[in-house]
Amino acid sequence: MPSQPRILIIEDDRKMSEALGSGLEGAGYHIETASSGEEGFYIVHTLRPDLLLLDLTLPHRNGLEILRQLRQDRIDLRVLILTSHNTVEDRVEGLNTGADDYLGKPFSFPELLARIDALLRRMLPASEPGPLRIGDLTLDLRTQAVERNGLPLELTQREFDLLLYLVQNRGRIVSREMLAHDVWRETSRFTPINNVIDVQIARLRRKIDDPFPVKLLQTVRGLGFCLREP
Amino acid sequence: MKLLKPANLRSRLTLWYVSVLALLLIVYATIVFAFQYAALTRQMLHDEIQDVVTVEGLLYFDSNGQLQLRQDYFSRPQSHLLLDRYMEVRDPSGNILYRSSTLQGMSLDGPIRNGEGDRSFNERVVRLENGNHAFIISHIHGMDGHVLLIRLGYSLVPLRDRMLQFLLLLVIAIPLALVLAAMAGQAIARRALRPIHTLTEHATHISASNLHDRLDVRNPDDELGRMALAFNHLLGRLDAAFQQLRRFTADAAHELRAPLASIRTVGEVAVGQGTEAGLRKAIEDILEETSRLNETVDSLFLLSRVEAAEAPGQFEIFPLRPLVEEVTSLLSVMMEDAEVKVTYAFETDQPVQADRNLLRLALVNVMHNAWKFSPHRSTIQVRSVVLADMVQLSIQDEGPGIPKEEQEHVFNRFYTRSNPPNGRQKGTGLGLSIAKLVVERCGGRIAFDSSLTSGTCCVIQLPPLRQDRVVQ
Repeated sequence: MPSQPRILIIEDDRKMSEALGSGLEGAGYHIETASSGEEGFYIVHTLRPDLLLLDLTLPHRNGLEILRQLRQDRIDLRVLILTSHNTVEDRVEGLNTGADDYLGKPFSFPELLARIDALLRRMLPASEPGPLRIGDLTLDLRTQAVERNGLPLELTQREFDLLLYLVQNRGRIVSREMLAHDVWRETSRFTPINNVIDVQIARLRRKIDDPFPVKLLQTVRGLGFCLREP
Repeated sequence: MKLLKPANLRSRLTLWYVSVLALLLIVYATIVFAFQYAALTRQMLHDEIQDVVTVEGLLYFDSNGQLQLRQDYFSRPQSHLLLDRYMEVRDPSGNILYRSSTLQGMSLDGPIRNGEGDRSFNERVVRLENGNHAFIISHIHGMDGHVLLIRLGYSLVPLRDRMLQFLLLLVIAIPLALVLAAMAGQAIARRALRPIHTLTEHATHISASNLHDRLDVRNPDDELGRMALAFNHLLGRLDAAFQQLRRFTADAAHELRAPLASIRTVGEVAVGQGTEAGLRKAIEDILEETSRLNETVDSLFLLSRVEAAEAPGQFEIFPLRPLVEEVTSLLSVMMEDAEVKVTYAFETDQPVQADRNLLRLALVNVMHNAWKFSPHRSTIQVRSVVLADMVQLSIQDEGPGIPKEEQEHVFNRFYTRSNPPNGRQKGTGLGLSIAKLVVERCGGRIAFDSSLTSGTCCVIQLPPLRQDRVVQ
């Protein structure tokens, strides 16, 4: 795999395509864009990207048809579907047709980044187990012990899961949707869960940040939360 | 068989009518025919017996010992069915003593049978040598020391001709009657179906735009009147549903317009000012508004999904308690944060039957609502009882309560109550409508207890298990 993974975006909404492109370039990917299935096909065959972001509602040929064709041609390519058709049935159909992942529009950009990373990382060996560390904060996965600056911190199970998820995504922004889905395991998004997340984050912050001068857990307004060393 | 299945009701009715009539006529004609034949045959037998008695008195031996019949016998007029009379007289050894001229030398039946004419008349149908049939009787008569066997009969040709005529008449008359009946049937059916035709005409002109139109009901007690009434009821429900839909669409558009307006204003103002910090803040505001918009759209989708679900298929049986505890545990951080205590009183462990995921969603919304209006350091009481076969779950908070006039509106879509305390965030206004829809889909009811003077009590009633659904 080259040092800079190549991503092809097939999306007919120009604004969306541009925004995705510039966002992903900023995250260190090489980007190609296509606005129709035919154009996308050509790029897939000539440039061999590592990952395809595929919109389903395209002019002329439906995204699923393109995906089917790619899978018939046995092209080794990760495919992430981006679409506003977001019912369970749509998801199942997309995944059955051969997509590796499925993200409903409107999605949060941090979530898209996380999914892309996960898809491209799948090819690499998993990182070795051991205490996770960020700044002076350490998490022991086996004993579920958390320490900061040598001081043990008492966390509830939910707080530990939340912190673990933030640590695993350290340096990256984590949206509320991602937390609801990956930490709370809620299948549908609805109002109350956002309140729950906000309160839970506030409590976690009280435990891991408030007693210490360096704040690790940051709120990024409009996007979500981020755990990083300032 | 296509011929026998006419497309319109009128022709079908006529066809049925004619078929039944044809069947009846044929059965009737057969019975009459058989009866007539039997009656005529009996009459013939009767005449023949009389004839035999008459003939006995008219027979005599002439001077040559030849048996003769006095000729004046023939002058008696007969029924026109009894034209050709055949007569033959034999002695016991079978020799023919007399044979009527009508037989033209043919024998009337063969040799003498054992005991023929002795006790009965042996009435029977025989075939003559010329192919005609005759109905004859036999009788033994003693005269002047001789024993005579008299055979007397009539040709069946006139009778059979007459019956054939009768049959012919029927064959012509029945179809004619049926054709007339069919015409009459068509006319009657057309007349009977005319009001339906009118109804159809009228109904065709009713569309979504004039659903408030109603059909005329001439006589509400007859079948057509009842049909028109049923139709009008249907129109009424459709009309209400359409109006609700229209209102809902308008509400939804309005609800989407509000965040759009704030996004637009925030963006325009920020671009106008053009400061780095201002732009950043504007984008953050816009993202937050977008996420609210997103919640509204998700909730709308959820509503339409629950609404569209017909016979709820994925019903399962489960105890209520773990579900309630799961919901409170999800919301527990918020409760703890506001120092709101949740107490339980499960007075029944009767399981309920519902779509668990949806019911969970409904409970989350109801509990969240209770939390929203709970003052700091208060209690929410959750209680379950069995009441009149229904499992009843009540969630009571110590909040300000809902004013009487608001109570019927709180389940309406996009209805948000006057500001919740503690500056808690306003919701999408769809949570309780989702809860209501879900509970009703599960066959239950949801309402606020209006008898309370303080606090709010949301009561959810779920139906008992249905036997036919328990079988898995």
